[in-house]
Amino acid sequence: MRILVIEDEPKVASFIQRALQEESYAVDLCADGSTGLDFAKDIPYDLIVLDLMLPTLSGLDVLRALRKAKVTTPVIILTARSQVDDRVAGLDAGADDYLTKPFSIEELLARVRARLRQMTHTMDVIEVDDLVLNPSTRVVTRGERRIELTAKEYALLEYLMRNAGRVLTRAMITEHVWNIDFDTFTNVIDVYIGYLRHKIDHGHDRRLIQTVRGSGYRLQANE
Amino acid sequence: MKINSIRLRLTLWYGCVLATILLLFGSISYVAMEYALSQQIDNKLREAKDRLMPAIEEYLIPTFEQTNIFSPLLLQQGAEVAEEFWALAGMDKFFKIVGPGGFRLSGPAGNMTLASVNIDPETIPLTEYTYRAGLDGKVILESVELGENLFIRLLTFPIHASNALIKSDDSILMFLQIGTSMEPVTEALQRLLLVLILGAPMAVLASLLGGWLLAGRALKPIQTITQTAQQIAKGDLSRRIKASPFEDEIGRLISTMNDMLGKLEVSFRQVKQFSGDASHELRTPLTVMKGETEFALRKPRTQEIYRETLESNLEEVDRMSQIINDLLLLSRADLGEIVLDMIPLRLDKLVKEVAQQAAILAQVNFVTVSLGQVEDITIRGDELRLRELLLNLMDNGVKYSRSGGEVTIALCAEKGKAMLSVVDKGIGIHEEDHVRIFNRFYRTNEARTHTKSGTGLGLAICHWIVEAHDARIFVESWPEKGAKFTVCFSLPQ
Repeated sequence: MRILVIEDEPKVASFIQRALQEESYAVDLCADGSTGLDFAKDIPYDLIVLDLMLPTLSGLDVLRALRKAKVTTPVIILTARSQVDDRVAGLDAGADDYLTKPFSIEELLARVRARLRQMTHTMDVIEVDDLVLNPSTRVVTRGERRIELTAKEYALLEYLMRNAGRVLTRAMITEHVWNIDFDTFTNVIDVYIGYLRHKIDHGHDRRLIQTVRGSGYRLQANE
Repeated sequence: MKINSIRLRLTLWYGCVLATILLLFGSISYVAMEYALSQQIDNKLREAKDRLMPAIEEYLIPTFEQTNIFSPLLLQQGAEVAEEFWALAGMDKFFKIVGPGGFRLSGPAGNMTLASVNIDPETIPLTEYTYRAGLDGKVILESVELGENLFIRLLTFPIHASNALIKSDDSILMFLQIGTSMEPVTEALQRLLLVLILGAPMAVLASLLGGWLLAGRALKPIQTITQTAQQIAKGDLSRRIKASPFEDEIGRLISTMNDMLGKLEVSFRQVKQFSGDASHELRTPLTVMKGETEFALRKPRTQEIYRETLESNLEEVDRMSQIINDLLLLSRADLGEIVLDMIPLRLDKLVKEVAQQAAILAQVNFVTVSLGQVEDITIRGDELRLRELLLNLMDNGVKYSRSGGEVTIALCAEKGKAMLSVVDKGIGIHEEDHVRIFNRFYRTNEARTHTKSGTGLGLAICHWIVEAHDARIFVESWPEKGAKFTVCFSLPQ
């Protein structure tokens, strides 16, 4: 899951980013409206956290431009003003939710989860063969064995399992699991696939994570 | 009773005035009518007398003088006169000839009176007064009540002997009384009275109704003004009263009120903007502190992270204190609570001192502070506030310079003024922002992007200090070329 945070106050942006990353989301930051709009249009984010008071282009303008460009990514707006007008304007412009500054980190995370859940309609357990991933508890098991994963490994596995059977290119994986600072020329994806294989397929006859030569990876149950 | 409606009051006034006018007019016309009608009757009676005189002189007088008594001939002659009288048109006629000394001219029994048949001769009186007046040769006109509801106007005149040289008691042969009914007059007057009594209240009622409608019409714009004002009072300051197409009293009232509302709306919006900005500026550090603290507490962290969090929070606390101090200063300035200690002071010395101080702070940003031409100048001012002004201006110059930039400060006397200038080669200010940068909390987008420090109140404070010294502050600036702030003080005479 990849999230864009558009917030001009560096410290606020920073703690939001760190908290989201801790929850294994990939996070990009933008400090002004027009850059944020460009990012949001170019990259298929799963969610956008948008501050309303921004330099160059206000949050409301960004939101309107996005909706006009038919970008339907869920948007949570952050507003420093508690006036009803602002919130109404934000929701009318196409925001899905709002938080008033100062807000609680846990509330932000809960709202992010709720929005993502609403979008994917899948907080249900995902099963591929005997591999089971529970998005609400973040517990992964294979057969009887519980598998401990890092945040990044979990995010990668969830993406693979949600798209089970499909071939996912490195670019697609990058877009959904890593953030913009990720250098696509490194073999980090291969390394993480290696970690996952070790933890999931090691000692099993049926290998679930497959390499599709020249294209990317696929996770599917073997016949 | 207290009347709270101008409309009702106006209407009642209309009614009262009209009722008074009608009463006066009615009385006058009644009296005038009565007089005119009486005159008309009297004239008719006199005319009748004049018409009868020839017959009287021809028949009655000679006959009477010859016989000296009431004779059938006389009676016959009298009847001739009466015939003449009956022939007169346009009156309701009564006729009687009465003998002298109060005696009626009567028949042989001395009792017979020649009179028209429509009256009982007894009832037409010949009063003592009339008799006396007749003796004096006067013609008397009087109104007499003749039976029930029959009023007549009676003309009584004496008939003297034709040969009488001196008109005296003895020369009177008889009295002739002619009369006509007053009925047409009383009827006309009664009708007039009826018209007045019935018509006047109706006219007053109609005027009350008309007055009510007219007053309503005239006051309708006021009603509209009141309604709009009530809606505005509920908080919708953007509403305006619909302008009147006429440049009349109401039209002027409306345009005056609309002007006033415009000004109110502007200042209300400024206050709202200000409080909104203030809460935004205070919420940002709060958001940072809450967010960072919560993040640090989510999980066990390293000592380094705790330390970073506390340091960052300390920064935010400082920022909030700065904002609150600045706001407090400005609000005390607004209330006029800050008294400046105006003394003659050497501005050049202060400039050099503050420049030195600023130079040290500027090193952190890799900016140099240099002194341009600084002339010896003494002005009257509050040292503490002027120091704040200089430091704020230099601090802005440093803050909005790029790394390696330079801020130059100069002071010179020009045309009786002290010109203090602070010049930087930093990010500059767009022309449309030149006025707004002195507004509270206003920060240009470029300034926000360039640096996160600053409360947005520095130039507002500078502006206040400058105004308090009866000085003026200007800015010349172009984006990316830098900015020049000039403060122009009056030199003491």
